[in-house]
Amino acid sequence: MPEPAHHGGRAAWRRTVLVARHTLTIAFRLRLALLLGLTGAGLIAGSWELQAFNFGQVEVKFLGDLGLGVIGWLGSLLAVLATTHLFFDAISHGAAQMVLARPIRRWEYVCGIHAGIAALLAGFVALLSAVLAAVLVARGGAWPGEHLRLAVLLQAAAVAWLKLVLIAAMSLFVCSFAQSALFASCASLMLVLVAQLRRFAPEHGVGQWLRVWPDLGLLDPGEVLAGGRVAGIRWVAGITLYWAAYVALFDALTSHVFHRREC
Amino acid sequence: MKWNGANPWAVEIDGFAKRYPGGWWGAGPGTAVEGLTLRLAPGQVLGILGPNGSGKSTVLKALAGLIRPSTGSCCVFGHPAGSDAARTRVGYLPEAPRFSPHLTSREVLAFCAGLSAFTGFHREMRVQQLLHWSGLEEVADRRIGGFSKGMVQRLAVAQAILHDPDLVLLDEPADGLDPVARLGLERLLCDLAAHGRTIIFTSHLLARAEAICDRIALLGAGRLLAEGTPGELLGDDAFAAPEVTPLERLYLDRFAAHA
Repeated sequence: MPEPAHHGGRAAWRRTVLVARHTLTIAFRLRLALLLGLTGAGLIAGSWELQAFNFGQVEVKFLGDLGLGVIGWLGSLLAVLATTHLFFDAISHGAAQMVLARPIRRWEYVCGIHAGIAALLAGFVALLSAVLAAVLVARGGAWPGEHLRLAVLLQAAAVAWLKLVLIAAMSLFVCSFAQSALFASCASLMLVLVAQLRRFAPEHGVGQWLRVWPDLGLLDPGEVLAGGRVAGIRWVAGITLYWAAYVALFDALTSHVFHRREC
Repeated sequence: MKWNGANPWAVEIDGFAKRYPGGWWGAGPGTAVEGLTLRLAPGQVLGILGPNGSGKSTVLKALAGLIRPSTGSCCVFGHPAGSDAARTRVGYLPEAPRFSPHLTSREVLAFCAGLSAFTGFHREMRVQQLLHWSGLEEVADRRIGGFSKGMVQRLAVAQAILHDPDLVLLDEPADGLDPVARLGLERLLCDLAAHGRTIIFTSHLLARAEAICDRIALLGAGRLLAEGTPGELLGDDAFAAPEVTPLERLYLDRFAAHA
């Protein structure tokens, strides 16, 4: 019989990683993830068929924008629905009871679930980015250095992933107090929409309170692509800090609310 | 009831009440349990019996640390229920347990073993032991989505006793089990009790409770109606039902012949 090691930072880290791996195992087997992944890959692979709608843009720019749009929209859907399934369903249908009756803290459970979903989203973004890169290479005949470089595409994909992980954090927060899966999904999507349009929040009046909400427009991979150059370290550091602060805030709020929730 | 041992009570519930205030919509305010006081010495088996909605599951959830008392307190081996010290010593089987249908029973048990601080070889060995005990060895790598209710229940019982807890809380453990599995479960309870484990289980099935339990508590509408040993409660009427009824004997014999 092993010596129980339930206390200390190392034990907490081990439990969080266990929950993350467990979550990822389930997530990769979800039909939803497979469906959205294949749909996204199909849309990007067939994107040159849609060039009639390019509004006069050059082909590479059009394909890049369309590809990142697909990653963003389907990824947002995956982030919200996977979070609802993996977190809300587990706590509302009793699957989490057998986990939470063990010596695991609620914040460890929340962080583990979030890390597992982040890993799922990394796989999703990596798959669709690879398909997008292949399409761009195929249409350019060679890597289109003048218009788009691999490093820029990688950076855009990384920004897309940051955005999706933040959306998952927002959705986790909603799930922590939601009473139905439908509410959790719809409210999360509404909050994503608010965050996407946050830059239009008024500077004065009641609406100015919306400015405390994260601005997903700052994490727009299309902007990275539009620049055509690898963004500087200051921009990267600023964006990463902004993202990390909001993710930490949402995870802390989720843990606090979930701690008070009775399963 | 007296307990003169040097160690604290295995379970000590003092004036426990659980009230729900009710939400904006849906269920209104209600009381699940009111003024429950109960003590159980280490190594005893307590059966909590009562109709649906009598508060049986609420008591077990409170002892597992999943819900907080509105008033009163629940302690496990001297530690407040829900504390790390209490949870390391508790194994819990919820009513109507559910697992992700995408996982296999081996993965579920390995995950639970990891959370209970089993690592490496010890973890694999313990998982294999429990797969063997629960009769799920042959389907260990099959997805749970294809399991029958009885198989899920056996898996849930296995995860509850995986870390060899001092206090085992079983909410309707016989639910969904066929006679063979039910007999296995009864023998497990007796075996655990013989090894000094404290057990609390809830049930609607009264017939076998008096044979298995050291103590019985009857709950009704969230209140303790009676509590004591089967002898104390039943007096001269105490009668242990046979381990297997004639019909179950026929069932077991016929299936054994086909096995």
